Amino acid sequence: MSWTKICDASEVSENSVKKFSVNGFSVVVVNYGAGFRVIPPICPHMEEPLEESGVVVRCTLTCTKHLWCWNLQTLDMQGETEKPLKIYESKEEGGAIFANVEQELVYEFEDEGEDDDDFFK
Amino acid sequence: MKISVQSKSGEHSFDCGEHETILHAGLRQGLNLPYECATGTCGTCRARAMSGDYESLWKEAPGAVRLKPEKGDILMCQTRARSDCVLRVPAETSVCQGTPPARRSGVIRNIEPLTKDVARFDLHLSDPMAFEAGQFIVVETPDLRGGRAYSMVNFESSAADRIELVLKQKPEGKFSAWLFGDRKREENVTVFGPLGRAVFRPNEDKDIICIAGGSGIAGMMSILERAICADYFKTHKGTVFFGVRSHADEFYLDELAEFVELSHGNLEVTIALSHEAPSSASHHEYPNLKLATGMVHEVAQKNLGGRGENAIAYIAGPPPMVDGAIRSLLSNGVTVGSIRYDKFS
Repeated sequence: MSWTKICDASEVSENSVKKFSVNGFSVVVVNYGAGFRVIPPICPHMEEPLEESGVVVRCTLTCTKHLWCWNLQTLDMQGETEKPLKIYESKEEGGAIFANVEQELVYEFEDEGEDDDDFFK
Repeated sequence: MKISVQSKSGEHSFDCGEHETILHAGLRQGLNLPYECATGTCGTCRARAMSGDYESLWKEAPGAVRLKPEKGDILMCQTRARSDCVLRVPAETSVCQGTPPARRSGVIRNIEPLTKDVARFDLHLSDPMAFEAGQFIVVETPDLRGGRAYSMVNFESSAADRIELVLKQKPEGKFSAWLFGDRKREENVTVFGPLGRAVFRPNEDKDIICIAGGSGIAGMMSILERAICADYFKTHKGTVFFGVRSHADEFYLDELAEFVELSHGNLEVTIALSHEAPSSASHHEYPNLKLATGMVHEVAQKNLGGRGENAIAYIAGPPPMVDGAIRSLLSNGVTVGSIRYDKFS
């Protein structure tokens, strides 16, 4: 496993979401006050860009499109949220955010792939 | 024809007539199927037909963009059955506890312009309809695809045979064209409702926040009327943000001012002007309505001051405003479960 610097911690202000490019793909860094998370740039519900649709309040990330939300400390799904967030392993060190981004994390959506008999998942 | 629905919560079946959509058929027979707009735009009522013949009324509906018709995906609000059908619905379903929505005929009367592009009209119903404050109906005419959703402006404590609705004229809107074109006209329409879950009941025991853009104020008027009738503001706070472009686009100010008057000082209404600096001269008749400049969700953001902790919030307006309003509400302490809106545009 290798750590890649994503950004300086000061680049993402408290309770905000910012997108960065690494290894040829995008991630978003979320500063939820008590810490940082590095996650894929879209909502696992309907691919909304979290940099625009994401709101962070009291350690919870909410996508304003359909109100899916997750506690960023515990990663618990809240309300009517039906899919967990995928998370890059990350750490804050020397004022910078590092993450393990060797492999891009992608969500599976119903309209991808050969068959989508997982209509009910 | 018989429709069988397999949902996350089990199997249900209901009859479907030749001239009704599958969504309407299920709802009127007391099955809570998933929907929000009921007019083809949101995509919430998607389902997959596993067997049976059916007909799509509006293949290009905005809510259908993510569907795969080749796999049998449909919007239940835009589909009529042509034989018995088996559907899979990727959501929970349940049995309706109250009076289910129904189809009625109605006559549109008393069209009155409120601004240059907003009008109000009455809809006289063939038989009375009970509804909750904040609900809407779908109006259908033979030349309108998809139907149009309108929130009730009035509130009646018992079933109403007259409902008041607000219409925003859209540049290419056929329905609004004839409504604005000939105000003496009376038109027979079909009405399905009541619909919508963004409702207010006085037993909620929470403060109320309303953020509305333009004609989105319609449903808020019903909610405020309901609250005033129950003297809800004796013990709860109400905060309303009503966004319009300029003073010339304001309407329902008399009614809003009266609500404030009757609120024991607990209802605050702010008119947010997005494209004009507020002029108190043009508002001297309404000393109890506040004025602000900016997009309505930004004005709400600045003025809510964390008042959302114990509040239910209602939102209605164009989609970017709804997104912005959600952001403002969350950052002012409103919880996700307390935000109510029906996406109909």
